[in-house]
Amino acid sequence: MNLLRKLTNRVTGSTSPDEEAASLSPLKDPATGANLPERRQPGYYPGFRTLAQQKYWDAATRMLIQLRVTRSIPIRFFTPGEEKTMRAVVDRVLPQEDREYAYRIDVLAGIDERLFENRLEGYRYADMLPDQDAYRLAARALEEMAHQQYGESFHALRTLEQETLLRSVHHADPLAAKELWSQMNIKRFWTMLVADCCSVYYAHPYAWDEIGFGGPAYPRGYMRLEEGEPEPWEVDEQRYEWAAPDNSLSDAEEAQGTDVGDRMHHGQAGAH
Amino acid sequence: MSLHEDLPLGGAFEEPEDGAGVKRLGPMQTVRLPRRRFRDSDVVDFVIVGVGSAGGVLLQRLARAGFSVVGFEAGPFWDTERDWVSDEAGSHKLYWNELRITGGEHPLALGANNSGRGVGGGSVHWAAFAPRFHPSDFEVYTRDGVGADWPIRYSDIEPYYELLEQEIPVAGPAWFPWGKPHGYPYGPHPMGGVGDTLIKGCTALGIPVAAGGPVAILSASHGDRPHCIYRGFCIQGCKVGAKASTLVTHVPDALANGAEIRDNSMVARISLRKDGLTDGVVYLDDQGGEHFQRARTVIVCGYAIETPRLLLNSACPGHENGLANSSGTLGRYLMAQAGNVILGRFDDLVRMYKAPPAHALSEHFYETDPKRDFARGFAVQTVGPLPIAFAKQMMAAKGVWGWGLRRVMMDYNHWSALGLLGEILPWEDNRVELADARDGRHDARDRFGLPVAQVTFNLHENDKKMIEFGKNTVMDIMRAAGAADVEQESRYAHLVGACRMSATPDGGVCDKFGRTWDVPNLFVMDGSVMPTQGSANPGLTIQALAARTADYISDQRYNFPFGLERDLAEPRCRKSLSPPGTFGKGVPHIR
Repeated sequence: MNLLRKLTNRVTGSTSPDEEAASLSPLKDPATGANLPERRQPGYYPGFRTLAQQKYWDAATRMLIQLRVTRSIPIRFFTPGEEKTMRAVVDRVLPQEDREYAYRIDVLAGIDERLFENRLEGYRYADMLPDQDAYRLAARALEEMAHQQYGESFHALRTLEQETLLRSVHHADPLAAKELWSQMNIKRFWTMLVADCCSVYYAHPYAWDEIGFGGPAYPRGYMRLEEGEPEPWEVDEQRYEWAAPDNSLSDAEEAQGTDVGDRMHHGQAGAH
Repeated sequence: MSLHEDLPLGGAFEEPEDGAGVKRLGPMQTVRLPRRRFRDSDVVDFVIVGVGSAGGVLLQRLARAGFSVVGFEAGPFWDTERDWVSDEAGSHKLYWNELRITGGEHPLALGANNSGRGVGGGSVHWAAFAPRFHPSDFEVYTRDGVGADWPIRYSDIEPYYELLEQEIPVAGPAWFPWGKPHGYPYGPHPMGGVGDTLIKGCTALGIPVAAGGPVAILSASHGDRPHCIYRGFCIQGCKVGAKASTLVTHVPDALANGAEIRDNSMVARISLRKDGLTDGVVYLDDQGGEHFQRARTVIVCGYAIETPRLLLNSACPGHENGLANSSGTLGRYLMAQAGNVILGRFDDLVRMYKAPPAHALSEHFYETDPKRDFARGFAVQTVGPLPIAFAKQMMAAKGVWGWGLRRVMMDYNHWSALGLLGEILPWEDNRVELADARDGRHDARDRFGLPVAQVTFNLHENDKKMIEFGKNTVMDIMRAAGAADVEQESRYAHLVGACRMSATPDGGVCDKFGRTWDVPNLFVMDGSVMPTQGSANPGLTIQALAARTADYISDQRYNFPFGLERDLAEPRCRKSLSPPGTFGKGVPHIR
C-alpha cells in the first residue's frame, strides 16, 4: 500500500467529494440506518487471516504473495489524466470505502501493470481494439460523458453521477460519447474492465480473508473436504447485514438474460 | 562440457554445470538438464514440435524405441518447486498468452481456458478428467448422419486407453458404466462439496453418477509422485505432482532415454525440399535468433490452433494454401465443447475451493437420444472455480459490479459449480486461419513477426439445441441438490480438430496415424487430428492416439525414414515402451 500516494490522491480530489468521512464506511446497518464503521477486514470471517498461515506455504508461493502485499506498483501506462479518470472508475466498479484506508487494494495499479507489460489473456476479439487502445479510448469516452452530462471531470462527479454513467456503459447504451464508444465493442470493454478489477482484487490475501477462501495450500493441503467444514485454522462464518450507500446504484443484480450464447468474457479461466 | 565416448546415436551428452541444470518435478522427482544436445547440423530421426499431452508421450516412446529425437517447446522447461505457485493469479504463465484473434458469431475465449505453454503443455493446467470416448464417437456419421466417422474404431484405441490409464495412472471407480464399461487401476478420490452437490442432485432425479473419477490424479502414491492433498489448485499446475502432466509422467523417461528437449524455442516454419519431403524445421530461440534443425521426420504436436497455424505459416511453392492442405481441410472443422458453468447458491457452506475441481461426473446423457431433438449429447461434471474465476463467472451470469459484486463474492463459500460438457459437431466454417491472410492488420503478428492465428467459431442448430437442453438439465440437477439461486455462464472448453484424420486424402489432413497425406515424412499428432470430440475431455484420447502412433512408427521401422509407401496396418500394442512403474498395479475387470 502506498499510503502517501493515496493520501495525495485524496487531497487532489480523486475520491468523490461525498466520501470524505474518515472512519465511517458509507455502508449502512439496514436495521438502524447508521453508517457501519470502516473495517480492516470486511466480510463474514472475522479473525481469519490467510497471511497468518504463510509459514505453511511453499517458498515460491510465500515470496509471490508477500510481494503482492508489500510492493507498491508505479503507474506507468496511464497518463496522469487517464489515471485520475480510471482510478475513479475502478473505485466504482470495485468500491472499497468499507475498508480501512491502509487495507485497501490498489486495483488500478494492477491493471496499469498488466497494460504496461502487455500481459495478454491470449486473445483479442476480432471486433475489439488491442487492450491498451481500448482502455485509452474508454478513458477519453468517460471523460467526454462526464463533461457532456454533468459539465465536470469524471473523477469530480458524485458517486451517483459516476455510477449513472458507468451503468449506461454496462448496459451498452452510453449516455454520451456515442461516437467514441462506437469504435469498439462496448460490452466487451465492460467485461474486460470488470474482469481486470476482479483479477487484481481477488488475487489479494485481504480479499481472500473477506470471502473466507483458504488461500495457498501446498504442501499442507486440506483435510475437511465436505459440508463446508472449516480446517482447524479456518473460522466459521459470522454473517452481518449491510446495505450499500443510498447514493449507489451498483448493489442491484442486473442479470442480462441468460440466453446469450456468446457471452465469453475476457480472461475466462479454465474449468474442465 | 564433456562428451561421452559411447554415443549411441548422434548428439552429445552434456554434464550440467553444478546445480545449474537441476529441475524439480514435484517435491520428490528431479531431472538434470540438458541430458543431450544435438547440433543443428545433426540429422535427427524425429523433430517433435510442442512437448505437451501428445508431444510428451511421443518423445518418450520414440526415445525409448531408440530413435534420436528432439522436442521443441515454445515455453520453458519448468522447475515446479520454483516456478509454480499455489495461487490463481500467479499461474498465468502456464497458458498460451500470446496474441490470437478470435471471432465469429460465438467467439472462443482462448489462453487460460484451453491452451498451454511450457513443457507439459495443456496437461500442466488441465483439470485432469480422463474419461474415454465411447464406441459411438468413432462412427457419429454412420449412426446419426451428422459430423464425421473416424478412420479408426474404438477397438483400435482401446488397448491404448487401458495402457495410458496405467501409465498416468487414472483414479476412478472399479466399474465405470458408460461407453464400453471398464474399471480404473487406482481407487476413486474422496468427495468434496461440489461432488456432493452432483451426487445429491443426480440421485434426487434418478440420474446415475460416477464419484471420485475418472481423473488423472493420484489417489495413492506412484513411484516418486505423492498422492493428492486436495488443495484444489489443479488448473494452476500441480506442485504436488499428484496430477498427471506429461512433464511428470513421460518427460523424465524421455530424457533418460536420450531425448533432447529444446525449450524456449518457437518453431516458425517446416522446411520442404524440392522432392516434397521435409528436411527439418526453422526455429527461433528466445532471443529471436533463427536456426535450422535437420530431421528425417517432423511430428507437429502444437494442438488445435498452433498446429494449423504452423502448417499455414509453412506455405511454400506447391503448397500455397498451407503445408499438407491439398484437401482444403487444414484449419477447418475446429471444435470446442460447450462448457456452460452452472452455479448454485446453498444456504449451507460448500467451500468449493477444496478437493480437485474434477472429481465426479455423469455420462448419462452422452449418447444420441431419439426422444430429444438433437444428435449426440453431453456430460455433467464438477468444476470448482477459485475466487478470480468465480468473480468473473458471477459478473457474466448475474451482471454484477460495484457493491453488488462485493456482496456476491462475500458469499463465495455458499456456492457450488457444475459444468456442462457438450458435444459440438465439426463444422467446416469453424476454422483457424492466419490473421493477416484475411485483413492485413499490421498488429496481427507475434513478437517474432509471425502471423498469428485467427479463429472463427459459430454454433449451429444442433449445437444450440444441445446446449439449451444440457444447460437446463444441469440447472435442474443443481436445484434438485438444494440450491435456491441457480445461475449459468455460457462458455466453451477444450479445442480439437482443424487437422483432422481421414480415411482418404480428400477428407482430411492426415491418415489414421497422423501422417499427412501430402508430405510423407510429416506427421500431425495432437487434439487437432480428431474428426469428432464426444462429450469426454480430450486429454486421455490425445495421449492414447500418440502412443498408438509411436507403436505404428516402431512397426514401420523397416520403412524409415518415411518415403512414399504408406502401410496402414494397425500396430502391435507395445508394453515395452511404457515408462518404468507402469505395470503390476492390477486393473479391475468386473463383469
